[in-house]
Amino acid sequence: MNAIALLNAAKDGILTGSVYALMATGLTLIFGVMDIINVAQGILVILGAYLSYALSVHLGIDLFVGLLITIPTLFVVGVVIERVFMARLKGPEKTAMSILVTYAVSLLIEGTLNTVFSVNVVQLQASYVTRSFSIGGVHFGFIYVAGFVMAAVLLSALYFMLYRTRFGVSVRASLADQTSAALVGIDVRRVSTICFGIGVAVTAAGGMIYGSTNAFNASTSYDLISRLLTIIVLGGMGSLGGAMLAGVSMVFIGDVVGTVWSPVWSTMSYFVVLVVVLLVRPQGLFGKQSARVA
Amino acid sequence: MAETAPFLRFTNVVAGYGGGDVLKGVQFDVPQGGVTCIVGPNGSGKSTLLKTVSGLVKPRLGEIWFKGENLVGQTPRQILRLGVVQVPQHHSLFREMTVDENVELGAFLVKDRKVIAERMAAIREMFPIVAERASDKAGSLSGGQQRLVEFARCLMLEPDLVVLDEPSMGLDPKTLRSMFATIKMMNSMGRTVLLVEQNARQALKLSHTGIVLENGRVRLSGSGIDVLNNPEIGALYLGGSIEETKHAS
Repeated sequence: MNAIALLNAAKDGILTGSVYALMATGLTLIFGVMDIINVAQGILVILGAYLSYALSVHLGIDLFVGLLITIPTLFVVGVVIERVFMARLKGPEKTAMSILVTYAVSLLIEGTLNTVFSVNVVQLQASYVTRSFSIGGVHFGFIYVAGFVMAAVLLSALYFMLYRTRFGVSVRASLADQTSAALVGIDVRRVSTICFGIGVAVTAAGGMIYGSTNAFNASTSYDLISRLLTIIVLGGMGSLGGAMLAGVSMVFIGDVVGTVWSPVWSTMSYFVVLVVVLLVRPQGLFGKQSARVA
Repeated sequence: MAETAPFLRFTNVVAGYGGGDVLKGVQFDVPQGGVTCIVGPNGSGKSTLLKTVSGLVKPRLGEIWFKGENLVGQTPRQILRLGVVQVPQHHSLFREMTVDENVELGAFLVKDRKVIAERMAAIREMFPIVAERASDKAGSLSGGQQRLVEFARCLMLEPDLVVLDEPSMGLDPKTLRSMFATIKMMNSMGRTVLLVEQNARQALKLSHTGIVLENGRVRLSGSGIDVLNNPEIGALYLGGSIEETKHAS
């Protein structure tokens, strides 16, 4: 092993990890505002990938241009899911029930995708997907760099929205305490619906990059959701910054360990870090210990 | 002869949380311009009653009239627009936001930036803690300081009715005095105050009206002093009879 190989591994970790961070941010935003664990997030990423696939194969629309359609579409899908299923969940069992309900939603989408697209694996194709360039011996796949830039832009936009807009103030207040937010006049119901929409909309971008770099079918969602859930647990449930850091860390640690020792330890290494962190901080890196007790 | 609409009127209010009714037909008026204090043992429905005013709990039966508008069925946001603000029992500041951000959120429903700036300036004069700790995170303040900032925040809407749910909870004696002085100040500014307080003696002393709630019903009402001096109520709810207290002092 040499320094170049290590640099390549670190680079892959950061570039790919940023896309996971983007997908996990949607998941943690939904949990933070609504106390809902959306286990359908994995299949929604795959839905995003299939939408990009359909636009590309059947209408010849470029993968990145297609995001102008798929992101708003998935926002609407998120709003519909929230209004039809999530708005009905109330009371102390809400979070536990949300796992069952979103799992049912996940099965519904999975069945539909299998029917429409079959169970055969596909991968998104474009001329630039396989293109790469090299800087100082370190290779950069175009699609990975594009995914990183897109994730950085979308996460920056999300941060701008949260910290520089009036709507962002209402989201942060709802994240902290829904009752107190309602008592200063914030429409927590509306904030929840829009946040669910945003949380789902980011899966369109994540799905496009994921589908360009991996062969997928509807069942791929199970691997994805397990990764996304571990990311938000490590970062701290409801913490946006935590999801970003944990998303990048997950792939970074796995890739570096895979290069330094053996690919056999790659996936396991992340879970070792997860267990160690949770032993010291059960609430995750940036989670609040008693945030959801009240 | 046309009757003037009461400032705030509870008419046979029945409410609870799904596991049975906590309020079982509450009926009383809150006069405009005064301080009305509700006392009663734990579980009598005091906090639930305040939640029905701010829209956090929807009554199953009955009506709550505020200046001619029925509050039942309205959202907390709509009720705020009518000029009713509540400071809840638990500390309600957003801990990760600064004191300034928290206070400004009190005027979330006000769109005009100029109006918000004017009100912020007035609040900073009224509550020096807001100016002194403007950039500090609200979570770094002591319990008493947080309570004062909550009071400051609730005034940003210039409400007609301020609803306070056990504001003295967890405060030391010195802060307690300052807190009661602030309630007096709010009232002298023309705000009607509806207050639930465990620290019943002190609260009733400064109240124009006292209401005793028991098992979800109004057991007694009168002036604050009358309620305070009622021996039966003193024995039952205020930790010993008033007579005993007089002899002791």
